[in-house]
Amino acid sequence: MKNIGYFLREAGKIIRYNSVSNIFSFLGTGLILFLLGLVVAVWGISSQLVVLLQQEAEISAYFDKLPENPEDIINSIKSIDGVWNVSYVGAEEARSRMENILGDESYILDLFEKNPFEPYLEIRIHLDKIDPVLQSIRNIKGIDYVRDNREVLEQIKGISRALEILGYLVIAAVSITTLVIISHMIRQGIYHNREQIKTLRLLGAPDRFIGFPFVLVGFLLTFGGGLLASALITVLINRGYAQLGGAMPFIPLPPKDRLLLGIVTLLLSGSAALGILGSLFGLSSINKENQG
Amino acid sequence: MIKARNVSLVYRDGTVALDDVNLDLHAGGLYYVIGPSGSGKTSLMKLLIGIEFPTTGFLEVMGQPMRKRETAKIRKLRRDIGPVFQEFKLISGRTAIENVIMGMRFLDIPMNKAKELAKNALVRVGLEHKAFTLVDRLSYGEAQRVAIARAVARRPALILADEPTGNLDHDNAVKIFRLLESFKDRNTTVLITTHATHLIGGCNADALLCVEKGKISIERRGGRT
Repeated sequence: MKNIGYFLREAGKIIRYNSVSNIFSFLGTGLILFLLGLVVAVWGISSQLVVLLQQEAEISAYFDKLPENPEDIINSIKSIDGVWNVSYVGAEEARSRMENILGDESYILDLFEKNPFEPYLEIRIHLDKIDPVLQSIRNIKGIDYVRDNREVLEQIKGISRALEILGYLVIAAVSITTLVIISHMIRQGIYHNREQIKTLRLLGAPDRFIGFPFVLVGFLLTFGGGLLASALITVLINRGYAQLGGAMPFIPLPPKDRLLLGIVTLLLSGSAALGILGSLFGLSSINKENQG
Repeated sequence: MIKARNVSLVYRDGTVALDDVNLDLHAGGLYYVIGPSGSGKTSLMKLLIGIEFPTTGFLEVMGQPMRKRETAKIRKLRRDIGPVFQEFKLISGRTAIENVIMGMRFLDIPMNKAKELAKNALVRVGLEHKAFTLVDRLSYGEAQRVAIARAVARRPALILADEPTGNLDHDNAVKIFRLLESFKDRNTTVLITTHATHLIGGCNADALLCVEKGKISIERRGGRT
């Protein structure tokens, strides 16, 4: 602890010595981490969407002829494993729903002489059991046709999976790039201070004493980048939520504060860890030099 | 303190710097290493601080064998050595007192104590008035005295001074010799290389190590070798 002031002064000196490169490293790292934050934000929102859609997974079953007693069919469907709710939607209710969806355009429905909608069953299911459930419903007497939304669900799941893979790729790219940038900066710092390092070794200074200011430099540069990225992503998410919340209220966004906290925590802890790791990689070059 | 058995040092280009050296130097002794330029004085110092390693033979400093594979232990050993290098090896961009303190930052010496020791050392080399001057702005002789202050401030068990008066005038050179010699009374072993043999006439050395073409002969003085 007695040397903490010295270590900070040394770190400042190393940063000032190569200030232009270090400023660009800080900005570069900040922007790379911002990119990571962006991907994680989109990933988080799409995952939320998939979870909600999975919870809301719904299929519709249509009758081959209007049943006298739909309760028998409803009870048969309810008994199927993987079904958690079945409700009967009459023809009038189906029309009413469509009117709500069409809004001002609902006058189109008036062009029909009679109600074009027929009653159907609205069935909520567990998505992971969609195949056996569909098969069982199709086998029930009185059911003519089952409409599932599997394509839509599969597409959303596909997008989410692609974003997940993209997220991992971006994490890998950010990690590698940051490590390379920081270790390169540390090597430059070591090169500039090579005479001082040699002298300290001749005086018996341990490697951790010599290396700590460099680790501090790596930490400060990337953590600074992490702070920059956090600030940018906070502004972006705040604005994005304000716009999306107003323009597209039907998109099920995760709670803003929770999303931001997760991303900022990831960026700050990740940047600190990458900074320290990058510095240690850079410092390994000291050991390759003459031990004298 | 220092034990050498049949130590030879041959550089990569084939130059024989030291040839079959045998030494037994005791703790608390004062030793001058004398000889003409290129005779092997600095090579001996390099061996003793672990910059070079014996090509053949066995060398031990304060119980530590000086072998290349023991560099980590040799680094620790250096904390008990106060080296004065011919080229000073001061850290530029820092003041004289910062340089002296630097040699103590990684030792178990509280910072207040280190500052006090640094000030005292600068007083002893006559540079207290330059304590807060950047070493880059010091004259050659002043820089040399800062290097000496750095070596002695941390009260090492062994002082290795390679031509410590090379850039000093007669009076300052004698002062520095007397200063380094005074550490003998604190049971510190002092080894000083010099070619200024006219300055060590009245010295209190235990022995003179005369180096000539890599061979070392011992001329006893104080009877302790």
